[in-house]
Amino acid sequence: MDFRKLASANKLKSTELLFGMALLVGVVVWALLTYFGKTGIGVVPFAVTIALISVWGSYWTSDKIVLTMTGAKIVSESDNKQLYDLVTEVCIAAGLPTPKIAIVEDNAPNAFATGRNKDHAVIAFTTGILRVMDREELQGVTAHELAHVANRDTLVSAIAATTAGALALLSDFMMRMMIFGGGNRRNNNDNDQNPIALILSLVVLILAPLAALLLRLAISRKREALADVTAVAFTRNPAGLRRALEVLAADNTVVHQRSTAVAHIWIESPLDESKTSQLFSTHPSLASRIATLRKMEGDA
Amino acid sequence: MKVLVLIVALVLIIALLAIMSRNRLVRANISVDEAFAQIEVQLKRRSDLIPNLVETVKGYAAHESGTLEAIVAARAKSTTATTVQDVAAADGQLTQALRGLLAVTENYPDLKASSNFLALQEELSSTENKVSFARQFYNDSVRTLNAAIKTFPSSLFVKSAGVTARPFYEVDDPQDRKAPQVKF
Repeated sequence: MDFRKLASANKLKSTELLFGMALLVGVVVWALLTYFGKTGIGVVPFAVTIALISVWGSYWTSDKIVLTMTGAKIVSESDNKQLYDLVTEVCIAAGLPTPKIAIVEDNAPNAFATGRNKDHAVIAFTTGILRVMDREELQGVTAHELAHVANRDTLVSAIAATTAGALALLSDFMMRMMIFGGGNRRNNNDNDQNPIALILSLVVLILAPLAALLLRLAISRKREALADVTAVAFTRNPAGLRRALEVLAADNTVVHQRSTAVAHIWIESPLDESKTSQLFSTHPSLASRIATLRKMEGDA
Repeated sequence: MKVLVLIVALVLIIALLAIMSRNRLVRANISVDEAFAQIEVQLKRRSDLIPNLVETVKGYAAHESGTLEAIVAARAKSTTATTVQDVAAADGQLTQALRGLLAVTENYPDLKASSNFLALQEELSSTENKVSFARQFYNDSVRTLNAAIKTFPSSLFVKSAGVTARPFYEVDDPQDRKAPQVKF
């Protein structure tokens, strides 16, 4: 399978999903208009502003916040020459500046990258991953993380989070309006409202946050799949990343921080995947990622 | 009135597309230049490691002078090269000479055990990786530029952007062919 074709297919898919979210916003605005009339629209700017402030603040300072939340320590070239060389090599392959490199004291093998753009990027490894993986596997992991930086996935997930957050807030406002000011819509001259449209809009408002969450997770999974493919474009070595994922699959320790807030940034989900359905996870299953990489090896 | 607005909008859209395609060419051209500069940076790094490497090896394996001379000669040649083809050819020779030296060092356990040599070896193998990734990135950039030059609509602005198709960086290296190739 050609990595260039795979990459554009994954990009297209995640763009479609982002459009799906925009469409969902449109449908929710329609539902608000139908159910509450013009007064309902007044809450939209509030919901959007609150979501924007909360998500974009953390997007802008993601490198610092995540370092604090995970307890990662920045290392310099002289601290760990081999790791620094390894990351620099992949950066040259990707045409990226060398990011800050950090190490998390944790026995579970895992890694992540974050930062709002390539000049503010951080890549972090746990002490566990540095111990269990050989150079080729670590190179695959590094390439996957730098692929997130190159594909600007912090931005993509910030956009998805903003939209999902705004929709959740809207739905919440709506519930309150129904409880405390249910009669409001009668004040508008729309007594002749189509009852089917009313029920439909109610259903939309109730289901919208769930739909937004599912779309957001689907986007996250597509970006993970894309990062695997981009990683192969950097190293031209699908076997390295594939073997690294196999090491992760065989290992059953998980990183100690099980905070869902930063779950999506690790290369392997730190949450127990077996208990959640595929639909609700931030990453595609390791088995399917390994299978895709194997197909790319087959063509080599 | 409506027709006028429509015409103005159409002209604006076309102008915007033209600017974007021309910028695409200029950007692709700059990134080829940067990619080539990166190759030269990494080749220079490797070149700078050689005197130290030669000295270290000499101390343990003085009678491998043939191999060492080949490296010094290849290094000298690489410093004068400027065009992509010449740089690539000199790069290929030096890569092979270095590989020959590292193969020879297998016969000298004292040398292999010396901490100086071990540090040099890590440095050299990392630089070797950097050189080969820099080549790969350069060739990808050339690929993007050459595709933009040939495809519509950017092909219309080749003259005005002042760009030309660039040569690929091809190193004649028998070992490269054995490495796994990814199909394009």
